Amino acid sequence: MEQQRKAIWEADLDEELQDVDLGLAIGSYGQNEIYSDVQSRIDEATIIAVQQQMAQQAAFASIPDVVKRFIIHFHQAVLENNLSEITVAYESGWNRLTEKFYSKTEWPEAETIAPLVNDDPIFLILYRELYYRHVYSRLQPDIDDRFHSYENSCELFNYLLNSDGPVPLQLPEQWLWDIIDEFIYQFQSFCVWRTKVKSKTDEELQLLSEASQVWSSYSVLNVLYSLIQKSKINEHILATREGKSADEITEIVGEYGARPLYRMLGYFSIIGLLRVHSLLGDFTLALKVMENVELNQKSQVTRVTACHVTTYYYVGFCYIMLRRYPDAIRTFVSILNLILRMRQYHTRSYQYDQINKTADRMYALFAICNALSPSRLDDNISNIVKERYGDQFAKMSRGEEGIPAFEELFLYACPKFISANPPPYEDAELLQGYIEDPPVEPAQRHLSLFLSDVRAQGPVPTLRSFLKLYTSLDAKKLAGFLDADEEQMVQQMMVMKQANRSVSRVENGDGLLGGQTISTSDIDFVIDGNMVHIAESTVGRRYAGWYIRNTEHAQRVYDNIKNSPLPPAQRPKPADPTQTTQSAPAQAAAPKTGGPKVAWGGVKVA
Amino acid sequence: MVSASEWAAPSTRTELIENLVSGVDRYNPNNVGILEDYLYHQIRSQEYDCLANLAILKLYQFNPDLYNPDVVINILIKALTAYPFSDFNLCISLLDERPFPTNPDEPDPLPSLLPILTSLYNLLQQCRFPAFWALYRSEKAESLRDNYTVECVGFEDSIREVVIRAVTPAFKRIGTERLATYLNLSDDDLTIYIEKLGWSLENGVATVPPNPDNQIASTVVQENIQLTQLSKIITHAQVAV
Repeated sequence: MEQQRKAIWEADLDEELQDVDLGLAIGSYGQNEIYSDVQSRIDEATIIAVQQQMAQQAAFASIPDVVKRFIIHFHQAVLENNLSEITVAYESGWNRLTEKFYSKTEWPEAETIAPLVNDDPIFLILYRELYYRHVYSRLQPDIDDRFHSYENSCELFNYLLNSDGPVPLQLPEQWLWDIIDEFIYQFQSFCVWRTKVKSKTDEELQLLSEASQVWSSYSVLNVLYSLIQKSKINEHILATREGKSADEITEIVGEYGARPLYRMLGYFSIIGLLRVHSLLGDFTLALKVMENVELNQKSQVTRVTACHVTTYYYVGFCYIMLRRYPDAIRTFVSILNLILRMRQYHTRSYQYDQINKTADRMYALFAICNALSPSRLDDNISNIVKERYGDQFAKMSRGEEGIPAFEELFLYACPKFISANPPPYEDAELLQGYIEDPPVEPAQRHLSLFLSDVRAQGPVPTLRSFLKLYTSLDAKKLAGFLDADEEQMVQQMMVMKQANRSVSRVENGDGLLGGQTISTSDIDFVIDGNMVHIAESTVGRRYAGWYIRNTEHAQRVYDNIKNSPLPPAQRPKPADPTQTTQSAPAQAAAPKTGGPKVAWGGVKVA
Repeated sequence: MVSASEWAAPSTRTELIENLVSGVDRYNPNNVGILEDYLYHQIRSQEYDCLANLAILKLYQFNPDLYNPDVVINILIKALTAYPFSDFNLCISLLDERPFPTNPDEPDPLPSLLPILTSLYNLLQQCRFPAFWALYRSEKAESLRDNYTVECVGFEDSIREVVIRAVTPAFKRIGTERLATYLNLSDDDLTIYIEKLGWSLENGVATVPPNPDNQIASTVVQENIQLTQLSKIITHAQVAV
């Protein structure tokens, strides 16, 4: 069985190696055949593995037996496409062994463990995926790690996309998400690292000047778009929404899209695009690629928690940059409530830290949105925001003087923006100019754009506090309060009016970019010649939630009692005559119960 | 106000452009010409398509050698007229810093014009319309006017539409003197303009027709219970019986 399967894979791989015509989704513009040396690399890797097998005896011998057994077992599970075994190895085995043996060092090199897995190239690619992810998360990746992790990703995607037909591999959804997530993380990490020209050694400078295509934006987008196209995931989502039958859907999505591996990779790639476009500052395109994905509790987004959280974080952030604060608030509230609810289940998960960090950033973003567009809050979330960011929130709610607080929270909570292009490593002269006069960091550029919106809205909180006191007043008088001339005040009023209106999404239509203009404030006003008229909306007291919660609680208590057996009747102690009279009523009641199994509720209903 | 869906997909967008904007062909540098032609078409015919213009900037972002400052400036001019949508900032977001001059023989006009465009945008953001016109008419903005906005058909009228979008929701009645400074129009032109808008004019006061934003009313928002909220309770009641 094992031999046979392996042979199929090798056959796939051989064919693919002879044929490097990739049919890339978006074309290889400005790329010099990024995958073209795959053949030599794999061959080389295999040869080196064989040659070094002897030399690596020492390295091999130093691998603890339990790790060797784990790798063999892991390999076996992958060969058999045994999802539950793979999941155990992936989610618990790997992490446990990492804690025990490799918390401060690399896992053994793929070449070293190759004999354990019969040099299975596919498993070695997967192994390297984990190997490099471990390097990035626990250690400091050096330039070789960065280049090799890129090559390994290319090999993995090449195998998935350019084999002869869909590959028979199966992996848990969590792992598939992690593959895409890590791919983008490493891309982003590389982009940040390459902009720090000053700290590069001569060797690194040399390598960077030769390898301008490594981790290029085009190559990353190409992978994501290719996965989306191969899996026909957009067609799949649309067909599902139209209520097509399973057979029809299978026909629509084709041989790739019918497989869970490709379907989920395609789906996660859409989220990947959302993220890459956000990192590059293209917030409209980020939301546009999501136009078919529905954001609700039933959506596939929710199947992997990390994916769910990432999606909402980036969607919410894009809405902020589109100045659609109510939509951003709604997005954050929805996911933050979910994170609160599932906290109890996830405390031990290895991703929990990451989710918590993202959640904390979303609380900060929520505070920002709420300062700019005060709204009736979700009590749970706003209490936590008050706890964590109370100081900043108070400052931000005061307009102009709160700018430093906006700045602080924005920089803390924004995505790690990247530049699309590397510094001019290939040209020493330009590079010198770059070092002397480095461009503004992407995060600072986006911050200043965001702050220009904040500044424009500066006078609104003060105006608001005055308007709250009146139902109508003379424009001159209001200007007097504000210490401004009347014209200035009228202009500020128009700013306030615009700040109180926002485009907001209507129910599930038009994708994430659609929407209608809504009013976002409880204070509204209109200027009639020289008079300002003000109207305030108030919220009636809300009873429903309280009654619903308590009714449900009462029902639970009732069910519990109903399902509990009766307490055993107290036997009177003959030795104590004073007890006899007191136990008489209990004995009188006893026959009615008819046995210990009858519950209280049953008696009552009867 | 323009609706968000019209903004995301204007009805004037052709199928060719739609395919470029929504498909993967948007990354093909060979298509930049088509999109640039479309931009100039927008400039000439008072159309506007933000997403198509962002697609040009995206291509410039990935292929710095395609960069054409005139196109960028025209895109920003168009984006100014879209206020209160934040198109201008969305466009700027895609302009990566270019620290090194691409060609010393052809000076890049963008670095000198960008601060002016940004100032103009900030004045619109703050509804400081008289100041906007003062800066726009000033000597500082001369090269912007003479080389760019003069080509952009109806630019000034588009800015007036931005003004009207700010005035309409905020006012029931507005003095013509004030309105004239916002719109930068003489008395006679203002009368014609107000007439065209369909607003009425009486004793130097223009009346803004009623619209959802200038009709204000104090309301009490009552809670609204959805059936789904009660589903647990109702289900339970059934089981109990």
